[in-house]
Amino acid sequence: MKLPRRKFLKVGASSVALLAATGCDRMPRELRLLLSLQPKENGPFQPPAHESIDLLTHVLNRAAFGARPGDYEHFKKLGGTLTEAASAWFESQLDPDKIDDADAQYAVRRFETLNEPLGELFEYQEDLLQHELMRGTLARAVLSERQLYEVMVQFWSDHFNIDPSKGDCKWLKVADDREVIRKHALGKFPDLLRASALSPAMLWYLDGRVNRRENMAEKPNENYARELLELHTLGVHGGYSQKDVMEVARCLTGWTVRSRGQPPNFQIGKVEFNPAHHDFGAKEVLGQRIPATPATLPPEERDRLGQHELERILEIVTRHPSTAQHIGAKLCRHFIADEPPANAVSAVAAAFSRTSGDIPATLRALFATDEFREQRGSKFKRPFNFIVSALRATGARTDASLEIVDYLHRMGHAPFNYPTPEGYPDKAAPWMGTLLWRWNFAVALSENRIKGTQVDFESLRANAGGDNGLMAHLLGRKPTPQEAQAYHDSGAGLALMLASPAFQRC
Amino acid sequence: MADVQSFVTGNGDEQRTLVVVFLRGGADGLNMVAPLPDDGYHNARPRIAITKSKAVALDGFYGLNPLLKELEPLYRDGTLAIIHAAGSEDSTRSHFEAQDLMEHGGIIGGGWLARFLRAQSNAAAGPLAAVALGSAVPECLRGAPTATVFQSLDDFSLGDNRNRLTESLGRLYGLQPDDLGRAGRYTLDAVGRIDKLRNAKYHPANGAVYGADRFSNGLTQIARLIKARVGLQAASVDLGGWDSHFSQATVMDPLMLRLAKGLSAFCQDLGRELDRTTVVVMTEFGRRLEENSAFGTDHGRGSVMFVLGGGIQGGRVLGKWPGLTKDVLEGPGDLPVTTNYRNVLAPILERHGGAGTLGQTFPEFTFDPVRLFG
Repeated sequence: MKLPRRKFLKVGASSVALLAATGCDRMPRELRLLLSLQPKENGPFQPPAHESIDLLTHVLNRAAFGARPGDYEHFKKLGGTLTEAASAWFESQLDPDKIDDADAQYAVRRFETLNEPLGELFEYQEDLLQHELMRGTLARAVLSERQLYEVMVQFWSDHFNIDPSKGDCKWLKVADDREVIRKHALGKFPDLLRASALSPAMLWYLDGRVNRRENMAEKPNENYARELLELHTLGVHGGYSQKDVMEVARCLTGWTVRSRGQPPNFQIGKVEFNPAHHDFGAKEVLGQRIPATPATLPPEERDRLGQHELERILEIVTRHPSTAQHIGAKLCRHFIADEPPANAVSAVAAAFSRTSGDIPATLRALFATDEFREQRGSKFKRPFNFIVSALRATGARTDASLEIVDYLHRMGHAPFNYPTPEGYPDKAAPWMGTLLWRWNFAVALSENRIKGTQVDFESLRANAGGDNGLMAHLLGRKPTPQEAQAYHDSGAGLALMLASPAFQRC
Repeated sequence: MADVQSFVTGNGDEQRTLVVVFLRGGADGLNMVAPLPDDGYHNARPRIAITKSKAVALDGFYGLNPLLKELEPLYRDGTLAIIHAAGSEDSTRSHFEAQDLMEHGGIIGGGWLARFLRAQSNAAAGPLAAVALGSAVPECLRGAPTATVFQSLDDFSLGDNRNRLTESLGRLYGLQPDDLGRAGRYTLDAVGRIDKLRNAKYHPANGAVYGADRFSNGLTQIARLIKARVGLQAASVDLGGWDSHFSQATVMDPLMLRLAKGLSAFCQDLGRELDRTTVVVMTEFGRRLEENSAFGTDHGRGSVMFVLGGGIQGGRVLGKWPGLTKDVLEGPGDLPVTTNYRNVLAPILERHGGAGTLGQTFPEFTFDPVRLFG
C-alpha cells in the first residue's frame, strides 16, 4: 500500500519526536519503537511455519486480538529469536502512549460522542451514545496498534462492569469508559479503583448516589460497598464479613451524583459529597479503626474528614492481600486458562502487591510465567474476541457497523450489555452455545455480505503464499491434514477456517 | 457444565418455553375485561363502556370485551387466567419510563427475562434459547445469554446449498473429543432441523387459523420453533399501538381482534405442546377510568394481564378488585394496581425452572405470588 504523502510526513515526524523523547532509553527500545511505527504493508507476508503455535503467535493470540496479515513477520523482526521477539513486542505494548495509533484514532473520530465532555453527553439521544460506544470499542479492538491496552480495556470493563441501561448510566457510561477504564487500563490499580469509586456512572449503577444516613434510623445502601469488596477488590471469599460491608457502606455515605431532572442542568453528572448525609460515627473495616468525627469540629474540617473516609477505605482494600490474589486470579483466568494455575496466580499476585498494583508490572510477571507460555491454543475465544480476531486475520476493512454489533447481541456478548455487576463470564462453558452465530458470521464475512466490511479474499490468499499459507496464517500454525482436506472440500475455505474448532480458540 | 444437548435439541419433557407478549402503548384493561356490576365504571364511561348485554360474561362480575370472544373457550377450559388491576409501581404514566421499569424489573440494569435466563444456568445456553420477533431486542431480554431478533427462519440458517460446508464442519468438530466438539455437533443438528423447517410449508395443527397480521405471524414462528425442539426457552413478541387517547374503539378494536385471534390460534396449534408452554400478556400501564372528550382514555395505572398455558388453573379472574369509588382511585382518577406484575411472573418463572433464582431476576422485591397454578 502506498501511503498518502501527508500521512507519511506525520508518521515520520512523530517517530523523530519519539526518538528524541526516548533518547535516554536503551537502544533496542528505540528500534522497537521505530519498527512499530512502520506502516503495515498490504503485500506478501510470511505466515507462521511451525506444526504447533509458537510463542509469538501465542502472545498475539492472548495479549492482542490475534494477528493481522503481516503482523507475524513484522513483529518477528523485533528480536533475534521468536522468544525475544515475543518479549520485545509484549514489553512495547505495556507503554501504549509510545505506540503511534493514528489509524485507529482517525477511524474512531467519526464517533463524536466519545469525546464529548460529561455535561454535553446529556444533549444526545441515548441510542446514539450506546451505538457509538459499542462501535468505537469494536473499531479500536480491530484497528488499534495498542492491542494489549485494548485487551485490558475489555478486562477492566468487565471487572468494573456497568450496564448503561440503568438510569442516567445511559449517558454517564461514555464518560466512565473514557475517564475511568481507558484512562487507567494500563496504569495503577489504586488510581483505577478510585476513579471508578467516584465515577458518576458507578455511583448510579451501584446506588452509591442514594447511600446516605441523615439520621441513625436511616439504613445505608450497601450495594456498592458489597460489590467493591466482592467483585472489585477482595473477592467473594476474600475474608470480609457482612459487618465489613455495612461499615464500608457507612464510610461512603454522603457521596452522590446530580441526576437528570435535578436543576441546574449544567451540573448533571456532577459528583458531590454531602456532609449532611454522611455518617460521622466511628467504624471498623477489616480490622482497621476509623475514628468518629467530633461534631465540635468546624464544618470544613468535618467535611474534609468525611470525604477522606473514601480514601481510607480504598487504601485498606487495595492493600489487602486478598485483592492481589483476586486480581491475580482473574488476570490468569483471562490470559492463561479457565482454571488459573496456582503457581502463576501466586507470581502475579506477588507482583501486584510488590508494586502496589502497578498494572504493567503485574502483567510483566504474568507474561514471564511458564504457565502463560505453555498454555497455547487452549482458551475458548469469547464472541467479541472471535469477531475481532476474524476481522483482523482477514485484514477486513470495516466501519464496525451495527450489523456486526448485532452478531454480538445474538451471542450475548455486545459490549456494555451485561446486566449484573460481575461482568461477562471469562470461561468457556457459558459461550459454547454461540457456534451457530460464529459460523453465520464466518460465512457472511468471507462472502462480503456485511455492509461496510470488505475482505479481499484473492489478494489475502495470494499475499499469504496460497492456500497453505492462508491456512497457516489463520490458524497460527500449519494446518493438520484433516483441516487442509476440509478447507478444500468445503467449497468455502475461508469461512470454513474461521468457523473451524481451531479458530474458536486462542 | 450443563449438558449442551439439553439446550440445543431439547429433550421434550424438560424444555419449557415462556412466551412474553407485550402490549405497547398502555392497553386499557377496563375495556378488555370490564367490571360489569360496578356503577363507577359505567358512570365514568357513558359513551365507551362495554354494556352488560354485549359483554361475554365470565364469572358474574367480569365480562370480556366481545372482540376478545375468541379467548372465551380458553377461559372456559381453564387454559387462560386473567389478573385484573395488575401493573407496576411506576407512577410516571410515561410510556418509556413505565415500559423500561417493567421490562428491567425495577430501576436496574438489564432485563428481567435476561437475568432469569442467565441465572438458569451459568453454563451453555443454546443458540436458540431466546428469540424476539421484530427488529430489535426488547429491553426485557437485554443482557440475555443469547437473544436473537428474527423475522423469519432464514435468519437461523447458514444459507442455501451449504452441504459441503456443513459436512466439512461436521468432520472437523467430529475430531474434537471435548465440549467444543459436542457443541459443534449439536449445533449442526440444530441447523439441520431449522433447514428442514425452512424448506417445508407450514401447516398449523388442529385446524388452527392464525391471522394475517404481524402478531399472528410472530406467534406462528414461535410455534414452529417450539415444535422443532431447538431449545427455545423464551420468546418475546410485541403487539403495539394501544395508546387510545382518541377514539378508543378505532384504536383498540382491531388490536383486540388480532390479540384474541393470535393467542387462540397459537394455543390450538400447539395442542399438547401447550403443556410445556406459558404465554404471559402484559402492558406498561392501564388507562384513566374516566373517558375523555375524544372518546378515548388517558394514561392510567392498573390494567389486566393474561396468562395461558400448561398447568394454569384458569377460568378465573384473579387479583383483588379495589372498586372504582373516588377514595380508591389513584392520582388523577386511575384504577390502582393491586397486583404487582412480578407476582404474576414469579409463579411462571418457578414453573420454568427459576424457583431458586427469583431474587436474582427481581432483586429487592418481596414476593406474594399469585396462585396461578392452584
